[in-house]
Amino acid sequence: MPRIPSRWVLSLLVGCLSVHAAAAQTPPQRLNYSRDIQPILSNNCFSCHGPDADERKGGNDGLRLDTPAGAAEDLGGHRAIEPGNPDKSEVVRRIGSTDDDERMPPPETGKKLTAEEIALLTEWIRQGGEYTGHWAYIKPVRPVLPAVENRVWPRNAIDYFVLARLEREGLRPAPEADRYALIRRVSLDLTGLPPTVAEAEAFAHDADPQAYEKLVDRLLQSSAYGEYWARSWLDLARYADSAGYADDPPRTIWLYRDYVIRSYNDNKPFDQFTVEQIAGDLLPDPTPEQLTATAFHRNTQTNNEGGTNDEEFRNVAIVDRVNTTLAVWMGTTIACAQCHNHKFDPITQQEYFRLFAFFNNTEDADRRDESPLLSVFSDEQQHLRGELERELASLNETLRGQSPEQAATRKRIEELTRQLAEIKPQTVPIQRELAADKRRATKIQHRGSFLDVGDEVSEGTPQTFPPLPTGAPVDRLALARWLVDDDNPLTARVIANRYWEQLFGIGIVASSEDFGSRGDLPSHSELLDALATELVRSGWDAKAFLRLLVTSAAYRQSSRVTPELEQRDPDNRLLARGPRVRLSAETIRDQALFVAGLLSTKLYGPPVNPPQPTVGLSAAFGGGIDWQTSPGEDRYRRAIYTTWRRSNPYPSMTTFDAPNRETCTLHRSRTNTPLQALVTLNDPVYVEAAQALARRIVREGGATAEDRASFGLRICLLRDGKPAEVARLAQLYERSRSRFANSPDEAKRLATDPLGPLPAGMVDGELAAWTVVANVLLNLDETLMKR
Amino acid sequence: MDPRLEHIQLSTRRHFFKNCQLGLGGLALASLLPDRLFPNARAAAPQAVINPLAPKQPHFAAKAKRVIYLHLTGSPPHLDLYDYKPQLVKLNGQPCPDEMLKGKRFAFTSGKPNLLGTPRTFAQYGQGGVWLSDAIPNLHTVADEMCVIKAMTTDQFNHAPAELLLYTGSPRPGRPSMGAWATYGLGSENENLPGFVVLISSGVQPNGGKNSFGSGFLPSVYQGVQCRSKGDPVLYASDPPGMSRDLRRESLDALRDLNEIQAQELGHPETLTRIAQYELAFRMQTAVPEVMDISRESQATLDAYGVQLGAASFGNNCLLARRLVEQGVRFVQLFDWGWDFHGTNPGEDIRDGLTNKCKTMDKPIAALINDLKARGLLDETLIVCGGEFGRTPFREGRTAAGSVLGRDHYPDCYSMWLAGGGVKGGFSHGESDELGFSIARDKVHIHDLQATILHLLGFDHTRLVYRFQGRDYRLTDVHGEVVRGIVA
Repeated sequence: MPRIPSRWVLSLLVGCLSVHAAAAQTPPQRLNYSRDIQPILSNNCFSCHGPDADERKGGNDGLRLDTPAGAAEDLGGHRAIEPGNPDKSEVVRRIGSTDDDERMPPPETGKKLTAEEIALLTEWIRQGGEYTGHWAYIKPVRPVLPAVENRVWPRNAIDYFVLARLEREGLRPAPEADRYALIRRVSLDLTGLPPTVAEAEAFAHDADPQAYEKLVDRLLQSSAYGEYWARSWLDLARYADSAGYADDPPRTIWLYRDYVIRSYNDNKPFDQFTVEQIAGDLLPDPTPEQLTATAFHRNTQTNNEGGTNDEEFRNVAIVDRVNTTLAVWMGTTIACAQCHNHKFDPITQQEYFRLFAFFNNTEDADRRDESPLLSVFSDEQQHLRGELERELASLNETLRGQSPEQAATRKRIEELTRQLAEIKPQTVPIQRELAADKRRATKIQHRGSFLDVGDEVSEGTPQTFPPLPTGAPVDRLALARWLVDDDNPLTARVIANRYWEQLFGIGIVASSEDFGSRGDLPSHSELLDALATELVRSGWDAKAFLRLLVTSAAYRQSSRVTPELEQRDPDNRLLARGPRVRLSAETIRDQALFVAGLLSTKLYGPPVNPPQPTVGLSAAFGGGIDWQTSPGEDRYRRAIYTTWRRSNPYPSMTTFDAPNRETCTLHRSRTNTPLQALVTLNDPVYVEAAQALARRIVREGGATAEDRASFGLRICLLRDGKPAEVARLAQLYERSRSRFANSPDEAKRLATDPLGPLPAGMVDGELAAWTVVANVLLNLDETLMKR
Repeated sequence: MDPRLEHIQLSTRRHFFKNCQLGLGGLALASLLPDRLFPNARAAAPQAVINPLAPKQPHFAAKAKRVIYLHLTGSPPHLDLYDYKPQLVKLNGQPCPDEMLKGKRFAFTSGKPNLLGTPRTFAQYGQGGVWLSDAIPNLHTVADEMCVIKAMTTDQFNHAPAELLLYTGSPRPGRPSMGAWATYGLGSENENLPGFVVLISSGVQPNGGKNSFGSGFLPSVYQGVQCRSKGDPVLYASDPPGMSRDLRRESLDALRDLNEIQAQELGHPETLTRIAQYELAFRMQTAVPEVMDISRESQATLDAYGVQLGAASFGNNCLLARRLVEQGVRFVQLFDWGWDFHGTNPGEDIRDGLTNKCKTMDKPIAALINDLKARGLLDETLIVCGGEFGRTPFREGRTAAGSVLGRDHYPDCYSMWLAGGGVKGGFSHGESDELGFSIARDKVHIHDLQATILHLLGFDHTRLVYRFQGRDYRLTDVHGEVVRGIVA
């Protein structure tokens, strides 16, 4: 092969690393296998020369490049990797070959190494070709704070890591965002709702040096906090109010949704939250709350289509539970190993089914009735039942013989008995372990087929990871504790990273769903480890952790960006500015109802049906997909309470990237499309919000068009409008009003349909024109974004 | 123009490509660039800069530029339409041979069912001598455009999983559908319309719900958009009651002005993207109702398709499909409910029931083929027609005692057909055995069909991939061979 001059290698390295490690400017002294080499090998070589012997070229005896022993194996006088000597390494010869029959990866795979990748591999071998374990499988240790030059900027530990990197890159952090921007940002991030104008003003003028910290504490105490943060957990839990598949019938499981909201609001430690959901039924004397938690894994789909085999779909549900558990807690994509040994990460098919075995012995079995169910009376119902039962008991006492009074008593007893029977408990599907004599054996399923089985396996965790805690039965409870064990290298990192992603728009590990060898490397690996260890040290205290994140100087930066910085770091991986990302589907809707003054603050309860278009279709083999809009304030509840039908998720939210929740969603995309514009411009829900906002503007916004335009801007954006903005909106108002002067019917419709008649004293033409303005306000880029 | 705005626009383009992770294997990034550059933000074009549906070049020269997929939900009885089995007719009513049932599972049949030879009459049509039954007389006239595959096989025998396998490559919900993959790979030729349109007749959603036309883990912009000929043609396309088009324009002008102030102030490229998306939405509001308005067609055309104005009929949807592909829509997916011929009621009888159901399908499909051909569009438009599986060569177990003749679900061997878009016309591919139980020659698995459709669109199915949760996913999962034998 042609020799690559070492000077050329180095210049390539500079260019390459700045691409793949987010703008590192200087070449490292030494290449790191896990960071620099493994991603190349994993993406290009491991599918034929990796951990999976079945797929490996040459089978059991075939070449492996994922282990040092494999790479050093004698291939008949030469070795794939000759440490320190690229010229004698077969790998280097083959990747640089110009002969199609020789070149690796083979052209028919469609894979091709870039010159930079070839240079990196060559240089790594020259440096000794040393393999280190995958970074994410090594337990994080609390790093020491790095030294920084700017001693003034850091507010907490996070900032030292961020600043050290910025200083290395020759960048400076942005100034702190102004107070209006800050309160809007942190309110949306902690509660999913913007602040009121009064709250923003109070914060802007609060002279207390701890004003921001006080604000954060108040937000974390609000019940809106749990409603907001539960949403992302429900994406992971694939929570929905229907059972899935073709007919997708309704499923009553909202007590689980309320469990999640309450757990966040009560700041339940994450390890406890974990154990309850995975194995609450195996805790000693489980409470109704702990049993409700096990509905986490009852959110899998049930197939009720005629002619389906329940055992087949029970197996599908177990597979989902295995995949979801590993993905949610450990950022490990394990689905590949259901059918064959994992090609990239060291998990065998046998290990997959050992995990499967943990989940394979619960009573549920793809039944239409979703049994087993837990029946729970609400506090109110409990109270009423107590009263009825007490009266019943005392009447029974007095009942003797036959007399007219006693006839009345008997009648009353009948009445009470009837009333008692009418109080129906709420139900929720739960997990319950099968009795000892009914347990199922778990066998390896070939190619993932439940009918084609092999050896029996017992419960166990993959060898790559630390062992299960000893001295306890090997069951789901042990697995749950293992997930949040101090020695688990992944869970704390994965959870910390997910919180970070929610606030900053992108994770420290950008592939928040994959911490395996094909996932992205952390942009700030020490920061991630600092956060992970801190999360564990705090006793998995989510509120304390979020408080740490949002009180950092890094989070509080202005999101304004210069063209140079935008060019250099478009995804803000270096954190030289504050986060600015589009709000989620739910938050966009909640915010519109909130600023309009329509949003209901009612907590918990059965799912509700806000208005959605009538489409006149039925589900396959199922009922109609249209619904009756809920009456009263239920029309305006927070989006988390909206009925989530998997085959027909609420259309306006789907358009803003809400998933259908059929399977665990680890990561929502954030698209920007014309169909989204049509939702916020024309969906009657948003038109109604604009009408209500218009009425607020007229009622509270002052006398002149300019005053009212400013007021509207302040409600929606929590800042003073610039003169040009105010003038433009006032102009839109005037022009709209003059149009409506000649078309009173249209004015009436735009002002009142669907919100209803105007209050006394309001005029159609004026309100219709303000509805046009309010519609614009609800569609501003700034409204739809976190600033 | 303001150099700052210009800069943002430039970086917007880069930003889009980066964020959308267009991991299109060998697709050169350069080929993804739209040809128009970046004029003034107020002009009509900046959306081209950031439109994820901008046209893209596939891996190699395509035979088909677009697809019309006609899905007969429930799965029609192929043995009464396309696959003529005289031996089965001869043995009609006899018990199924044991070896045909061994190790098999059926949805609604157990024990030993009786063979069911077709009661229909078959003949060969066209130059190619394609066998067709008397249930589809209009298709006889276009037999020379049809490429019938008689050796289809799938892994699933329940509707929802089979339909998902067909459209997403996996029997479980969650992966992108065929139309989403095609749109992701090719973009759309008309930026004022969705790239992937879904039309549903007979009032029922597909078995897989929205998953059958969903975007899975691809960005949602690639999902199928359901268009309707009644009500809002696309959800929320109509301005609110009381708002005229002029006023909408007026309000969007104000919105754009305010968003531009914001773009100047904070410098975020996404703000400019949003401005462009609102302009696109405005044009879509006009373009979609126009294309969906079939009353603009001539009476002769309406008659040929058997259109019933104002209804959501399969005939109307066939005509709409032609109007949509004519306007550059990449993938048009029709779903027509009511093809699940179990025999549980007279409508599901393979004699009169099938005749009546076919009347709603046969004429419009023949009209569609003729219409596309007359407009010179058939060569580059691939038509695919079929169900999610086939139906058994025996009577369905539950209904065997009754007088209605029906068949159970059957995945092992069945027929579908294609036309136009680079496939051989007047051609049959593959064969079933003499009783229709298994494939005698040239098996075509669902993944092979998918690989072939992508091939006709210019893609190597192994290279049209998207990285999700650590794995490169593709429509054909880890399977699929292009069926070279049907490619013209």
